[in-house]
Amino acid sequence: MTAPRAAKRLTLTMTSPAGEGAGDSFVRQKGRAFIFALYGALRAVKLYPVGNDLVQRALEDLTAVAREILASEHELELRVSGEFIFVNGTRLRLDLDNYASFSHVLSVFRANGIGVLGATEAVATRDWQMLLAVTQTGGGSAPEDRFHAVLDKLEAGGVSTLTLAEPGEESGEEREAAKERAKRTYAQSVAVTKDLMTSVRLGRSPNVKRIKRVVQGIVDQILNEETSMVGLTTIRDYDEYTFTHSVNVCIFSVALGKRLGLSKLQLYDLGMAALFHDIGKSRVPLVVLNKSGGLTDEEWRTIAAHPWLGVLALFQIRGSQEFPYRSMVVAVEHHMKADLTGYPKPVRPRLLSVFSKIVAVADGFDAATSRRAYQTVPYSPAEVMKELRDNPRRGMDPVVVKAFINLTGIYPIGTVVVLDTFELGIVHAVNPLSEMLARPVVRVISDAQGNMVRPGTLVDLADRAPNGEFHRTIIKTENPDRYGIRVSDYFT
Amino acid sequence: MTVPHRPSSAATPAVRLEDLPFAPAPVEELLRVFGKAVRARQLYLPNNPVYRSALDSVRAAFAPIWRETDDLALTFTETDVRWFGHVALSEPTKAADSLPWTFFKDGVRELRVARGFEDQELVKLLDILQRVRKAAPEEDDLLTMLWEADFANLRYRYVDLGTESVAPLDGVAADVQPAAPGEVAQAVREVSEASRSGVVNMQDFDATLHFLDESELGYLRREIEREYASDLRQNVLAILLDIFESQEAPHVREEITEIIETMMLLMLASGELRGVAFLLSEVQAAVTRGANVTAQQRERLGELPDRLSAPEPLGQLLQSLDESADLPPQAALSAMITELRPAALETLFGWIGRLRNPAVRTLVEGAAERLAAGNLQELARLVQANESTVALEAMRRCGAMKTTAAVPAIARVLADGATPMRQAAVHALTAIGTPGAMQALERTIDDADRDVRMAAVRTLGASKHRGVFARLEQAVKGRKLRDADLTEKMAFFEAYGAMCGDGGIAYLDSLLNGKGMFGKRQDPELRACAAMALGRIDGKKAQAALQQSAGEKDIVVRNAVSRAMRGGGE
Repeated sequence: MTAPRAAKRLTLTMTSPAGEGAGDSFVRQKGRAFIFALYGALRAVKLYPVGNDLVQRALEDLTAVAREILASEHELELRVSGEFIFVNGTRLRLDLDNYASFSHVLSVFRANGIGVLGATEAVATRDWQMLLAVTQTGGGSAPEDRFHAVLDKLEAGGVSTLTLAEPGEESGEEREAAKERAKRTYAQSVAVTKDLMTSVRLGRSPNVKRIKRVVQGIVDQILNEETSMVGLTTIRDYDEYTFTHSVNVCIFSVALGKRLGLSKLQLYDLGMAALFHDIGKSRVPLVVLNKSGGLTDEEWRTIAAHPWLGVLALFQIRGSQEFPYRSMVVAVEHHMKADLTGYPKPVRPRLLSVFSKIVAVADGFDAATSRRAYQTVPYSPAEVMKELRDNPRRGMDPVVVKAFINLTGIYPIGTVVVLDTFELGIVHAVNPLSEMLARPVVRVISDAQGNMVRPGTLVDLADRAPNGEFHRTIIKTENPDRYGIRVSDYFT
Repeated sequence: MTVPHRPSSAATPAVRLEDLPFAPAPVEELLRVFGKAVRARQLYLPNNPVYRSALDSVRAAFAPIWRETDDLALTFTETDVRWFGHVALSEPTKAADSLPWTFFKDGVRELRVARGFEDQELVKLLDILQRVRKAAPEEDDLLTMLWEADFANLRYRYVDLGTESVAPLDGVAADVQPAAPGEVAQAVREVSEASRSGVVNMQDFDATLHFLDESELGYLRREIEREYASDLRQNVLAILLDIFESQEAPHVREEITEIIETMMLLMLASGELRGVAFLLSEVQAAVTRGANVTAQQRERLGELPDRLSAPEPLGQLLQSLDESADLPPQAALSAMITELRPAALETLFGWIGRLRNPAVRTLVEGAAERLAAGNLQELARLVQANESTVALEAMRRCGAMKTTAAVPAIARVLADGATPMRQAAVHALTAIGTPGAMQALERTIDDADRDVRMAAVRTLGASKHRGVFARLEQAVKGRKLRDADLTEKMAFFEAYGAMCGDGGIAYLDSLLNGKGMFGKRQDPELRACAAMALGRIDGKKAQAALQQSAGEKDIVVRNAVSRAMRGGGE
């Protein structure tokens, strides 16, 4: 066991000077219009010959919006950072209305290794046409190579009104610091969840402020360093399952909520509900909860009572403010299916909350991929994903499942995969290229001879050889136990 | 109150002024006026000129700073606010109104203020500081409030006092043995061979399958809107009642009943009347449908509507509504009151006259009317309530609703009620207007109170209620009426005229035109009354009698005759 570190740590909040919240400024409005126009032009250029009217109209629209911003602001700089897009330093908010356009623009920028795009006031339709055309012909080369190829082509085409820069490199120190923050948030979340469940079990009132703080921390982390945080969900500690599971469900739910365009405060509501979803288990006797063999009918009934027991338990948690009603709804509904089968069976008619549907998917995924008292061999993440998607009897909302797959990729983070190079890998991150969901970023952890390497090397499975073939392809997902791999070691 | 003061040189750590980016005076001035604004926010309402002026001062104090920098970083110790290590504000007392202590105690160690903060977010921060100073220990602290405020131009660093001692993650205890390289390689090759025969489902590689289309995005958008438009309390109440019905364990039902009782109070206190209405309407269903509900459980949960209908809780609710600035929608209030027991009517009627807020009175009156309409028996009972305001209101409503069932009760009021009650009773019976109501009024023309008598006689005359005629004739021909004032006399005579028909003409003619034993005519007032009564009788005979006095010299009589001939009333 590691001793607590004595030094107090400072945590920097994720509120950004360029964040949302101060009203919809000109830049924010026009920035969104610019992204829409860019998205429209990218698609038009991809689908039709450049001489096509639709392409020309889309390019003219793009030019017009760009000029409008330039006329007012005297600068136009589009910068991508992580999953955020900034226009002239102002972060544009991702929501359901701009979801597709943001995703596409981000993936084109990433694919071409572009971090910053600047335009001068003289920018013309022809310049945009040249840029968009060359960004769509990247082939299979690495983003850094593509970036230089794009630059060369623009120069050859005489485009001087557009400037490009590579993404700002995060220093190793910054990366480590970010990872440390994520780990600390995760550890604090587990500790607070443990305290919460224990307090409820003992009939004490838990510390609500601490609970709020860790959920706020998770929301901040997801908004800023989603990959680190989601990676930590691979920690599926058998002994601490109930606690890590609640934290994992919270992380998955918040990450999914972010994809669905929820605001920061809505993500907080969702995170609170997700963290509390299994709180009813703190009213289930430990001897039943931890039983490894088959459950008797009576024991099963006791376990199946945890959703409604959760509602009663949540009345113990109040602080001095309102009871957590939204969390109560999620607690009672998270095992109800879309057709209201499942458990508990409601007496009065009800429509399931979308938060319950999100938490149900996150819960189903994390539970099935974890080792527990009564599930010593977990399912692989990919298997679970397919089951959630393809088996209607699971009763999951298909749109939420679809969004979840969009979040995690077909091979979710933490999946152990066998590559066609006879290497083993662990899925590290969803591929930033939206059309490459099946080609995640993988940490290769063994060579072709079976020698395990730690920490291993990150590879992008979308990378191709000069002949256009992919360097590596997943051929199967595997059970980490078979190879003696503890996935969480590669994320902590 | 701690008064902020400029730091003395002794308190300043070893920071040389020349090492600072610019002279500290503007920062010290900013903190000084900011402290004043914090206090102004505590003392005055947001629209108060003193507070507005304090805000203007803070905004003005930012100007010289923004001329030097775009970003102001302030750090906090228990007693100081520092800028680049220089103590820009010192408040030695660690009190609730100390600015450094307010930030420090909740873990805030640094604030970074960016240009533009003063436009929109200054007020937000002042509001937060006000809230945090008034907050109870178990309420949200400064960090939570700052987080929720989601500032764009304010960043902060903090230590998390609650969780800083948590051990960092260093992996969990090892319980997995790594496989030997040979084993790994062999397993991988086995898997690879097996998989090359087509294990991979190519459909999974179609990324487009996993993108949300427009209809799916629309669905999610609507779902999120629904999530935030839904009534969470009512939802949770439904859940609790579901559990009550489906779980028979006594301790569970008891816990739920306690929770529901608490929730009802909270909803009442916060004006969530729709939720209260839902609860009142559903508890009966829960105790009826629930399996094996004991008498005790039924009594405790099922009697919630009775308890809320009792005078004390309902009175408190009405008082709080009257004093509240934020009224519930009419539909919500009506829905809740409709779910109350009939016994609530007495309290409602008692309060209607006392309510000072006209909007609340309108709301309560509307709701009470609906409850009364469904409970006429109770309404009739309240006519004889001990509290006069209740009885008066009940009679008013009986009249408005033409509640015939209340006539006997109102008649009893006429018999033994106080004067205002008897007046209200006459009005109610008048409004009810049925033969039964008129019959109840008959005796009232002999009432001790002039107004009661007059109201009754006018009603009876207007309705030409024959049952009162004998009594009326007796009054008209009797001596007692001669002593009454002209208005009362006139009312009686007109009523008489409305009912007597030709049979009364001779008597009225004799009053108007006849002469006494010594050739003296009757008193002019009496003659005028007779003229008005004749005017109420159709036909030539009555007109002829009036015509005889058309040239009368007495102005009172002449006017009355003239009006009567024109068919006019009073």
